Amino acid sequence: MSASIELKGSERKPGFDLPAWLARFGTLASLALLLIIFSFARSDVFPTVDNLLNIMNQVSILGTMAFGLTVCLVMGLFDLSIAAMATLGGYVATFLLVQYPDTISVPVAVLISLAIAAVIGVFNGLIVSYLGISAFIATLATGSIITGAMLGISNSKTIITGIPDEFLIIGQGSVFGVSNPILIMLAIGVLLWLVLEHTQLGRHLYAIGGSAEASRLSGIAVKRYAPIALSICAVCAALGGLMAASVLGAGRPQGVGDTYLLNAFAAVFIGASSLRPGKFHIIGTFIGVMLIGIINNGLSIMGVPTYWQYIVQGVLLIIALFSAGLLTMRRR
Amino acid sequence: MSSNKVGVASPTRDEATSNARERPGVVLEVKGLVKEYPGTRALDGVDIEIRQGEIHALLGENGAGKSTLIRSICGASRPTAGQIFIDGRPVELNSPQEAQDLGIAVVHQHFNLVPQLSVAENLFLSQTLPRRMGVFVNWSVIGRRAKKLLERVGLNIDPWTEVSKLRPDESAMVAIAKAIGSDARIVILDEPTSALLPAEVSILFGHMRRLATEGHSFLYVSHRLTEVFEIADRVTVLRDGRRAGAWTREEMSRKAIIKAIVGGDKPWIEETDVSRIAYGESVFAAAALAGGKVRDLTFELRSGEILGFAGLPGSGAEEALDLLFGRSAVAGGHLTVHGKPLTLRSPRDAKTAGIALVPKNRHTESLLSGASVRENISLPNLDRFVSDPFARFIRRGRERAESQGVAAKLAIKMPGIESSIDSLSGGNQQKAILGRWLASGAKIFMLNSPTAAVDIGAKADIYNLIREIAASGAAVIFTSTEVEEFPRVCHRVIIFRDGVVVGELSGATATEANIMHLAVGDEDER
Repeated sequence: MSASIELKGSERKPGFDLPAWLARFGTLASLALLLIIFSFARSDVFPTVDNLLNIMNQVSILGTMAFGLTVCLVMGLFDLSIAAMATLGGYVATFLLVQYPDTISVPVAVLISLAIAAVIGVFNGLIVSYLGISAFIATLATGSIITGAMLGISNSKTIITGIPDEFLIIGQGSVFGVSNPILIMLAIGVLLWLVLEHTQLGRHLYAIGGSAEASRLSGIAVKRYAPIALSICAVCAALGGLMAASVLGAGRPQGVGDTYLLNAFAAVFIGASSLRPGKFHIIGTFIGVMLIGIINNGLSIMGVPTYWQYIVQGVLLIIALFSAGLLTMRRR
Repeated sequence: MSSNKVGVASPTRDEATSNARERPGVVLEVKGLVKEYPGTRALDGVDIEIRQGEIHALLGENGAGKSTLIRSICGASRPTAGQIFIDGRPVELNSPQEAQDLGIAVVHQHFNLVPQLSVAENLFLSQTLPRRMGVFVNWSVIGRRAKKLLERVGLNIDPWTEVSKLRPDESAMVAIAKAIGSDARIVILDEPTSALLPAEVSILFGHMRRLATEGHSFLYVSHRLTEVFEIADRVTVLRDGRRAGAWTREEMSRKAIIKAIVGGDKPWIEETDVSRIAYGESVFAAAALAGGKVRDLTFELRSGEILGFAGLPGSGAEEALDLLFGRSAVAGGHLTVHGKPLTLRSPRDAKTAGIALVPKNRHTESLLSGASVRENISLPNLDRFVSDPFARFIRRGRERAESQGVAAKLAIKMPGIESSIDSLSGGNQQKAILGRWLASGAKIFMLNSPTAAVDIGAKADIYNLIREIAASGAAVIFTSTEVEEFPRVCHRVIIFRDGVVVGELSGATATEANIMHLAVGDEDER
């Protein structure tokens, strides 16, 4: 046990390695399997371009939030405030538009609401970096504060009337038949993929997530990165909530983000079990998001009761994490 | 040896007499113990015997086999060959539980106590607790038993005190009480004094002495020779997995023990001819630097020089490297790099000044596990590959080319530059870490035990690499937990004791024995 340091790597057998293959492609394989099953079961409805766009439209809010969450999980930070942040994003934008219909235009309202989210995200990061409180707890606390503040400002009343039509375009418009939410999700995905894969910021986030001490000793100013990562995550969550408000045509002061919180984590963790086992990455997250969307869509098309969606999702999450864990366990 | 007879349960009379196994007073005897790990022989036929009521010191350098011996005695690892006798009876220890049932307990360096629990809870942690009505834990009985046990070891504290609130010597005694509470007759103490102040050490020794006169035996592992002379009835020294000597209290001499520890017959190879080294100008200097354990550190390092920071664990030698890299806070003094004053607030400041640190623990302090060799080499050097100051895209082609170049230059054995760093051997991982800093263009290299957990062949490579770094005009500060490395690697060695530099040796005088003498202190020379 204690003298096995020099042994690793030397005894890796060539040839097909099933656990390694499963860890890498297991999630993709199950995605393919589901696609095949659903396509055969409902060949008239499921395998169509319209339905694909429908699925992507359904997961666009989830996807936007999950992409942001990926950035902070790369660094090893859990952000539990994304639910409250999504609520904030939608409510603040509609609130501003209704309160100051003459002075604040739609783009300005959107920018202000995203900027508030960014500031709160930075604040989350400062708590984590400089007060030494774990992100898990810090974001739980700020999430609670945001929820309280929203309820206080709104008097628990949903904003329905007075929302300008330009705002509704965000969630309800489309370009060449592709809905705006899909385009927003894809744009955020591409942007964050570039950041994580091809910039120094991304590399440092991965390095800190791998070993904060090794990063610090390599001259990286580790404490600066939690505010950056958490504010990116917060902006994405607020954007998701904003899209939800636009789709609904209403600014709800509570509960908007709650439905997305667990699914976003599930998507990111399923993503970490595909292609690059044990690592969070944007493409993986996209696979996770699509997997969740396809399960929900496919099962409902087949007329399976809704509760099955939750059960299938939970089982898949465990299988995905287990198959990814197989490889990490063996590495030790 | 006749112990390979069958029917081990009770030794026959002639076996006992022929091997003198029933010598009165010998409670534990180890005979010809061998422990092999793949590629190494950690123990190569060790003998040791411990008598009733004696405090027996076990000495030796890191890697001499002390911890392997302890692990064998306490049932944590099974020896490859050899025999262990308890009260003259051969025993096989398959688990720590079996050793404990036979009266052997180990008190580790950090006392394996749970700091958030009370003393009483800790004392009975591993035992079945007394119950009321077979369900509820009877805390009043536990309190009474704890009190009694603490009295037995001479500790006058409330059993409900939280362990985190105890002084280090009190924690040590609680750990010993826990061992004795589980009916241990042989208590193994693994460097119990490393966290203790001198006054606390003497309190601990007082208690140990009294328990010894009551019949308990101690096997006491330490690095501190002075303490050994103070407390030990007998001493056994291990070197390279063998017994290098054993003395009773009357026979002990500092000279003989040090000679046994470092190996007096070991020829000292003059691998670095100091007289022929052409040093350059001063690149790194400290004046009266203080921080943490280190006090009043003054030195000057010239380009081309390899300076050793030697000392026992906790002496400040390793801590000085952390201080010089901005890893721990500087409390006073001045630093200059190339003649310019340097203020260190973080490792980032040190890196910017051209200082590199290769820390001791690869796995927790330097490797990016799960990342590729390329990413591990380029980690501190990404600034050089960014396309523009705003988006900071990384030009991966350049990054790969440079990492590849470093890997080739250091002859790192790997499947490819994109393969995971975890798939490399320890030696090649360490080369990648060194390569990371070579690529950074650092001019001052600080290396803490760079050959730890590295196989023999890679060790030589790393030694050569260190010499090449120095020869290329950089300066090196080297420290290690293995004293024998200093004469091999360094041009000059300064020796730390209790946070202060107590001496400097260079060239032919920088022998392992001389370093050791200064490191342990000579004030009570016999």
